[in-house]
Amino acid sequence: MKLQRKDVLGLEEMDVEEIRQILQTAKVMKGILMRPIKKLPTLKGKSVVNLFYEASTRTRTSFEMAAKVLGADTTSIAVAQSSVSKGESLYDTAKTIQAMRADLVILRHSSSGSASFLADILDAGVINAGDGQHEHPTQALLDIFTMEEKLGDLEGKNVVIVGDVLHSRVARSNAWGLRKLGVNVTLVGPPTLAPAEMGGLGVKLTHDLDSVLPGADVVMALRLQLERQKSGLFPSLREYSHLYGLTTERLKKTGKQSVVMHPGPMNRGVEISDEVADSAQALIERQVTNGVAIRMALIYLLIGGSANVVA
Amino acid sequence: MLWLKDVWVVDPSQKLSSPQSVLVKEGKILAISSSMSDEEVQFKAQGEAIETINGQGKFLFPGLIDVHTHLREPGQEDKEDILSGSRAAVRGGFTTILAMANTQPVIDKRALAEFVRLQGERAGYAHVLPIGTVTKGMQGEELVEMADMKEGGVVAFSDDGKNIQNSEVMRLALEYVKLTGLPIISHCEDKYLAGDGLMRRGTASGRMGLKGIPASAESVIVARDLILTEETGGKLHLAHISTAESVELIRRAKARGVNVTAEVNPHHLIFCDEDIHLTDTALKVNPPLASQEDRAALIEGLQDGTIDMIATDHAPHTQAEKARPFAEAPFGIASLETALSAVYQYLVLTGKLSWERVIEAWSHSPAKRFGLKGGTLKPGTSADMVLFDPGYKEVIEPSNLVSKARNTPFLGKTLQGFPVMVWVEGRLVQRNRMLL
Ligand SMILES: [Zn+2]
Repeated sequence: MKLQRKDVLGLEEMDVEEIRQILQTAKVMKGILMRPIKKLPTLKGKSVVNLFYEASTRTRTSFEMAAKVLGADTTSIAVAQSSVSKGESLYDTAKTIQAMRADLVILRHSSSGSASFLADILDAGVINAGDGQHEHPTQALLDIFTMEEKLGDLEGKNVVIVGDVLHSRVARSNAWGLRKLGVNVTLVGPPTLAPAEMGGLGVKLTHDLDSVLPGADVVMALRLQLERQKSGLFPSLREYSHLYGLTTERLKKTGKQSVVMHPGPMNRGVEISDEVADSAQALIERQVTNGVAIRMALIYLLIGGSANVVA
Repeated sequence: MLWLKDVWVVDPSQKLSSPQSVLVKEGKILAISSSMSDEEVQFKAQGEAIETINGQGKFLFPGLIDVHTHLREPGQEDKEDILSGSRAAVRGGFTTILAMANTQPVIDKRALAEFVRLQGERAGYAHVLPIGTVTKGMQGEELVEMADMKEGGVVAFSDDGKNIQNSEVMRLALEYVKLTGLPIISHCEDKYLAGDGLMRRGTASGRMGLKGIPASAESVIVARDLILTEETGGKLHLAHISTAESVELIRRAKARGVNVTAEVNPHHLIFCDEDIHLTDTALKVNPPLASQEDRAALIEGLQDGTIDMIATDHAPHTQAEKARPFAEAPFGIASLETALSAVYQYLVLTGKLSWERVIEAWSHSPAKRFGLKGGTLKPGTSADMVLFDPGYKEVIEPSNLVSKARNTPFLGKTLQGFPVMVWVEGRLVQRNRMLL
């Protein structure tokens, strides 16, 4: 079954059945990925364009690999986004891609809403690989997939997401997706990085990490953009790490063998200690593997047609 | 001679809102009366041919005055020019428009102000009156030659588009402007609080991941400018007020007798931040669309007189500029052609504002504050008038807009209630929505 949509732009607009269908398909894809020879003819002749306005080797590579395993042809366009007023506009680039008759475009862009903007112009499908601070649906889906793999049904589970939630598309997508699956989500960060307006996501918001750790099944640390310190959003890495850094000691407060996640790349010693990052609790490498499976599932569900990969 | 018969006249300058007959002769209002016999009219015509217009079911009011338009000429004629902007004005019911000074170059010298005025005269539609900048080059540092610029025809001074961040420069401007008797129009925005924000900070911005601009970015400067105006005894007009806090600050300042007036833009009365969608750059505007509570406070402030006038802040941009991701599109809504209809449909027909107050706030109030002709239908005054058909419906489409810009949130939508005849100095310039 294909998804009844042209694009995957965010989890806010996705319903729970669609999310389950994607997770189910990703399970099959992961099985394929674990085979010694991982190459399928499923999407032979289909073309996938990776359009990346922000450098992100890990996300781009993950999408490329996913497309290649499924047998699609991939092209990568890396656009240096030095200034919005310089160079070709996204509108013109979209027109060019339209003329190339690509089947699917993967977009990473620094502007919130850019993926919807592109999807409105293109006949081809669009997968949002991160648009500004808005959404990063494939990251959230791979996070959810990883949590389910480890914890089973997520309904009623407690997930704490800690860090710079204001500027985080990962936090937003996870909040939407997890909420739909019945998870209790808590966003944590200093008031400057987890301000009241984040209440619009309909999840719990707090500034005190230690008070929400008891009972947490999952603790996810977000990457801290170090340049936020210069804008005055937090005073020092030292204090940030002291209040919000994940350490072995702090994680004991959950009272259970909690799962630790991080979307990467990590600032070791800032939001997560070396010891935690390398512990058995941390599923960070598994997240990377699952990322390929999730992206395979999405590409297949959007442009796979009737070809039956599951057989 | 023109005889407008049985038309509902709304003229707050004369406290009129009732069926009247109106006579216009030699470009001026000759008479207004609720009872006018054929003989009387014949007598007043003194042999001149009489053109009779049956105004039944329609409104007649003074040509509207818009104190805040960006006509983009000189320098950005791809967005708009004085001809296209003044055509858009009369199509929308405006017979006088004030042209903001943030053109390229900015209007900081008398010669430039005279150019704008002349271009308006050459265009021959609405009266186009220039606003000069407050500071040279709009740099917020040195004052312009205010007295000389007044001689050149400017009716106010404003660095609109930017705020004068240096409070001492603002204080000096409010002192020096007393030489001219003209107001300083302040665009209230603290640039540090506003930062590179894209919409009002709130749950909608939080949800969409668009950088927020707090309400305080406006209100702290409103407070500052009110204090400076009180201290100097200068004359202040606050552009595009958008927050409840600003309304309250103005209300209290007026109670103390501070020489201040304020305007509100139609889009801040109609929309709020929750109406913004990530791909809809037509609603990207500065000051940003505020919360529902702010909108309610603005409507209340306008109705009770705390806010003196409505102004469009007509801000035309090209389609290419607006066809960008939200963060990259410029701020601004082109509104001269839709503003009056939108206000009528969304605020008057819904009972949120009285029609009389809307007309007052868009004609008599600006005329009084800026010392302009017009804004009234008193006998002897210039016949700048609008005949408004409350039943006229129009789909807002690129093909019928005469502005160069298309950046309106009403594109593709139907609005009801439009000016169907517009006169400037008694000369018919628009009939049945077509320019003459
Ligand atoms: Zn302004």
